[in-house]
Amino acid sequence: MICFDNLSKRYPGGFEALKNVSFEMAAGEMAFLTGHSGAGKSTLLKMLMLMERPTSGNLLINGKNLNRLPDSQIPIYRRQVGVVFQNHQLLLDRTVFDNVALPLQVSGYPANEIGRRVRAALDGVGLLDKEQQKPVALSGGEQQRVGIARAVVHKPRILLADEPTGNLDPELSGEIMALFRRFQNVGVTVLIATHDVNLIDRMQLRIMRLEGGNMIDDGADYGRY
Amino acid sequence: MAATDRPREAVQRGASGQKIKLADRWRGYKSHHRDTIRISLLKMMREPVQTVMTVAVIAIALALPAALYLTVENIQRMGSNFESSAQITIYVHKEAKAETIEKLQDKLETLPTVASVTYISAKQALLEFKALSGFGSALRYLEGNPLPAVFLVQPIVLEPIDLAQTKDLVAAITELPGVDDVQIDMQWLQRLHSLTEVGHKVALALGATLGLGVLLVIGNTIRLAIQSRRDEIIIVKLVGGTNAYVRRPFLYNGVLLGLFGALTASIMLYASVWWISSSIADLADLYQSQYRLAGLGFLRFLMLMGLGGLFGLVGAWMAVSKHLKDIEPK
Repeated sequence: MICFDNLSKRYPGGFEALKNVSFEMAAGEMAFLTGHSGAGKSTLLKMLMLMERPTSGNLLINGKNLNRLPDSQIPIYRRQVGVVFQNHQLLLDRTVFDNVALPLQVSGYPANEIGRRVRAALDGVGLLDKEQQKPVALSGGEQQRVGIARAVVHKPRILLADEPTGNLDPELSGEIMALFRRFQNVGVTVLIATHDVNLIDRMQLRIMRLEGGNMIDDGADYGRY
Repeated sequence: MAATDRPREAVQRGASGQKIKLADRWRGYKSHHRDTIRISLLKMMREPVQTVMTVAVIAIALALPAALYLTVENIQRMGSNFESSAQITIYVHKEAKAETIEKLQDKLETLPTVASVTYISAKQALLEFKALSGFGSALRYLEGNPLPAVFLVQPIVLEPIDLAQTKDLVAAITELPGVDDVQIDMQWLQRLHSLTEVGHKVALALGATLGLGVLLVIGNTIRLAIQSRRDEIIIVKLVGGTNAYVRRPFLYNGVLLGLFGALTASIMLYASVWWISSSIADLADLYQSQYRLAGLGFLRFLMLMGLGGLFGLVGAWMAVSKHLKDIEPK
């Protein structure tokens, strides 16, 4: 599903955020991406969101080389990717419902379909009763779950999460990870960037480690024992 | 518990969730446009002071040249009212014989640019003068009739007035035998026409200048709107919103501002015309004129609205194409 092939990213000014990174993730696979701050986790996720283009090397999604994707096709590509942000990135002047509906609206879904899917997504994260509230009225964990509902409402094939449990206590983190597991179970490829060691230790998952822009362990042999 | 060996066929289900029927897409598109307009209106109403001020500036900038244009139009109409009274007066030689006068009348009637010819004999002229001037008794002391016979010639008036043609006509008439003098009172009409021509151009220039102002005002308003919705734009782009999707609410915002401005300008113009027209009607009655002030009219109203909407669209487009590019998720 995801294939990094010798991918490097050098920013103007010479800083090399990723150095010849190669790894593969199969469809329906779930993995952690870990490393210290500045190791390149965010850059790697930005590559997958096409917020950045690689300096060299190839990025293949479902066999298609994204380097050849014109800028005008970026929005269409992003519609098959869901993203959960650390700071949840919700629109504070809109209701929970409208926030979750956004990915469907930009894809041009009809209103009744949007209503059905948004409620299904909110039900999935246990926030169906909060759909008419504004995000500020919710707790941190609830806001994060709204962010997750928004990331999966359009049934993406790839789910990316950037420190999804950053500000949450272990219990809430566990709940959120359980949610990710459920999406994985229906075939979504899930990649979670985190440096939450406790979380990683508790979950039995493939772990990819970045250090100074190098993939020092892509964890590909995990689960082959 | 290994996670990697999950069923792969399940992916297909996720993929099929992406497909939307064309008819549904069209319905979604239409309802999206409706929602966009509704949300734009709500956003404008949520900042009433900002909106009212912008609309007022646009309205004034549109109303000023439109008012000047209307004024010029009305002056022009007033001029064309007088055109029908533009006639050529031909004084016949006092010594001219009745035969010559008859021939002259025939010749005048056959001239190509003459609409009608009226003959007033010297006797008739004297009778009229006696009746109208109030000098009747004084005229009795005169020996004979001091007044010449007169032809009144009504030329065919062309729009716009062609002074050269009238000059040719006067020259032709002067050459005719029996003609003593020819008087024409059309020069002031020509001057009026030139003046209204200048007025039209001034209105156009003023309109162009103020139109540029409208573009800048709308552009600036939209620029502020874009900046205040920066976070929203980034999120919309991250979840797969196209540039057109991001652009749309701002374009609608501009068009709505332009339309509201044009509507306000129209109301201002209608109100002014209504206010002035009763005085103009009174004045016209004093001059026994049927002249009435012409207002904006429905067609011009539509044109003004169209212009307002267009200015709004162009102004918003300028702001959007300049500022949206800078906002990309980082």
